[in-house]
Amino acid sequence: MIDCEQKPPAGKLVTPARDDLRIAWLAALAIAVHMVEAVVPSPLPGVKPGLANVITVAVLCLYGWRSAVWVAALRVLVGSLLIGTFLTPTFLLSVSGASASLLVLGLATRLPGQGLSPIGLCLLAALAHMFAQFFVAYLFFIPHPGLFALLPLLMTLASVFGIISGLLTTKLLAYQGALS
Amino acid sequence: MSQLIYRAFWSCTLIGVLLLSACSRPEESRLHAAQLLAMGTLVEVSIWGTSDEHAAAVTAQIEQRLRRVEDDFHPTRPGGLKTVNVALAAGRAVAVNDEMADLILRAQHFEEASQGLFNPAIGKLIALWGFQDEEPAKGPPPSANEIQSISDQHPAMSRLQLKNGLLTSHSRAVQLDFGAFAKGYAIDQAVAILRRQGIHDAIVNAGGDLRVIGRHGDRSWRVGIRQPDGHGIIASLALGGDESIVTSGSYERYFDYQGRRYHHIIDPRTGYPAQGLVSVTVLAADAQTADAAATALFVAGKDDWPLIARRMAVDQVMLIDEQGKVYLTREMARRIRFEIKPEPVPVIIKP
Amino acid sequence: MKAAFGLTIADKLLVGLVIFLLLSLYGRYWSSATPGERFRVSSIVNGIQTMDFGADRIIAIEGPLGTTRLQIAGNRVRFISSPCHGKQCIHAGWLADAGDFAACLPNRISLTVLGLTKEYDSINF
Repeated sequence: MIDCEQKPPAGKLVTPARDDLRIAWLAALAIAVHMVEAVVPSPLPGVKPGLANVITVAVLCLYGWRSAVWVAALRVLVGSLLIGTFLTPTFLLSVSGASASLLVLGLATRLPGQGLSPIGLCLLAALAHMFAQFFVAYLFFIPHPGLFALLPLLMTLASVFGIISGLLTTKLLAYQGALS
Repeated sequence: MSQLIYRAFWSCTLIGVLLLSACSRPEESRLHAAQLLAMGTLVEVSIWGTSDEHAAAVTAQIEQRLRRVEDDFHPTRPGGLKTVNVALAAGRAVAVNDEMADLILRAQHFEEASQGLFNPAIGKLIALWGFQDEEPAKGPPPSANEIQSISDQHPAMSRLQLKNGLLTSHSRAVQLDFGAFAKGYAIDQAVAILRRQGIHDAIVNAGGDLRVIGRHGDRSWRVGIRQPDGHGIIASLALGGDESIVTSGSYERYFDYQGRRYHHIIDPRTGYPAQGLVSVTVLAADAQTADAAATALFVAGKDDWPLIARRMAVDQVMLIDEQGKVYLTREMARRIRFEIKPEPVPVIIKP
Repeated sequence: MKAAFGLTIADKLLVGLVIFLLLSLYGRYWSSATPGERFRVSSIVNGIQTMDFGADRIIAIEGPLGTTRLQIAGNRVRFISSPCHGKQCIHAGWLADAGDFAACLPNRISLTVLGLTKEYDSINF
């Protein structure tokens, strides 16, 4: 059973070195997904499926929130260095999106009861990601009220991609569970 | 796993269906908007729902009713109110119909509640300033003597007596001018017609004063309050159920003479245009109350309006003074949304 | 195992919330017609017309007294000639902001500027 609100006891059993290594591997995977998405053209400029969220949420479920923060931070930082968007507007958008989704994921894991499944977590993360990016874009880059006409569409896309990411995450976790 | 996919698929479909139904609803086709000229202004009747034919029929009925209110209560045109004014000036008693009697009683009530600041008995002063004519007033302002000679006679609604449909006045100086609330009365009459015709969702807007009933489909009616300078919207409100909003502003009718501006809201205590405020917006259940209160609070001015608001039982008020400062009651602050940047910093006052 | 993969109560609540959020977003930002800067002219002769600003031009509107002309230039609109007596419509000057309004009552023509994303059902003034 995948239980997302409790961190598995992994941290106590493994050595810090193995912990670091694992985060690095997972971050590398996330960066790879991030870069593939950056290269693949998107029908709507600036809108990406956000499949890197799959890794973030999977890490959250398996190793806890701290590890997820690490993986996401490394992804945004290293990813932007590799693509060449470090400290550009795109980087600011990535940082705000990632921070917002990590924040709501952190809050969501504290929910009582069963909490959210990976699908719920991915949906929430995708919406937070989009919402934060939208407002950063509105506040810093395009402070035009006409932008709000796009908001409903963007949030709908975020929901759809969030659910798709959730399904992928569930599959990934099931595969991982079968391995261990 | 298959169950998961099934459920996730189902929820996606649900979202899709709901979104589609939200997007594709026939938005504007259910709104019937008609404009008509009555009460010396443009009246817009917006009806949500019902058929084209029904909306047109009801609008025609409203137009007819408003024309009659205009004829009956115009202070100078031959007909109802002029006949009354001629008799009052001659010191004669005059028979009035039920509607006129009703309106006089209401005006007396508002005058008492407003401590005389709402005073439709000062028709002589308003005529003296030239604000009764169809043409825009041009000035020059009347002389101090002329003003003094009228206000010394203290024309007031309280000097009228109504007995068995017979109106008598204790002062020949009383001349009725219902300009400060005839529009509100007309709006209320129009809404009464809508209600009788089974219409539950509508707006009646007569020259900027309006009353809303019901809703615009699945949302409240959205009303913008225009900036006193006429450019753009200063604030907006969601109105619904049965609410009226009326603004009295010095910008509505005025003339400039030798560098000074003289507007149409005459302070019955001085005989001169009321000082200090630019506009007063009042939200109340019916349009007559909102209309009368907006005028009374405008005359009361920056310091005394909370007392008059309390006495007239209105608690949703926005005022803008000559410096552009915005004052709100707490009840108004709770629901109003400013639409200008930078947002004004309102002074919140509990009446 | 199967049950563990299903949607939890929190998931269902979230989906409900998201649907509500999306619906209110569409209601808030898409409930008026397509975004664009437009204005509405109504006359008892020509009826109600909604037009885009767009190219600079002068249009003629018929009323009971005759022809009233409107000038459109640089996303603004104004009355430039009118057969009425007071010419108050012309004194109103340029209208550019959403909710701006001017009318020629004698010729029974009114002019309202409509907003980009937000429209009001009625304007109080």
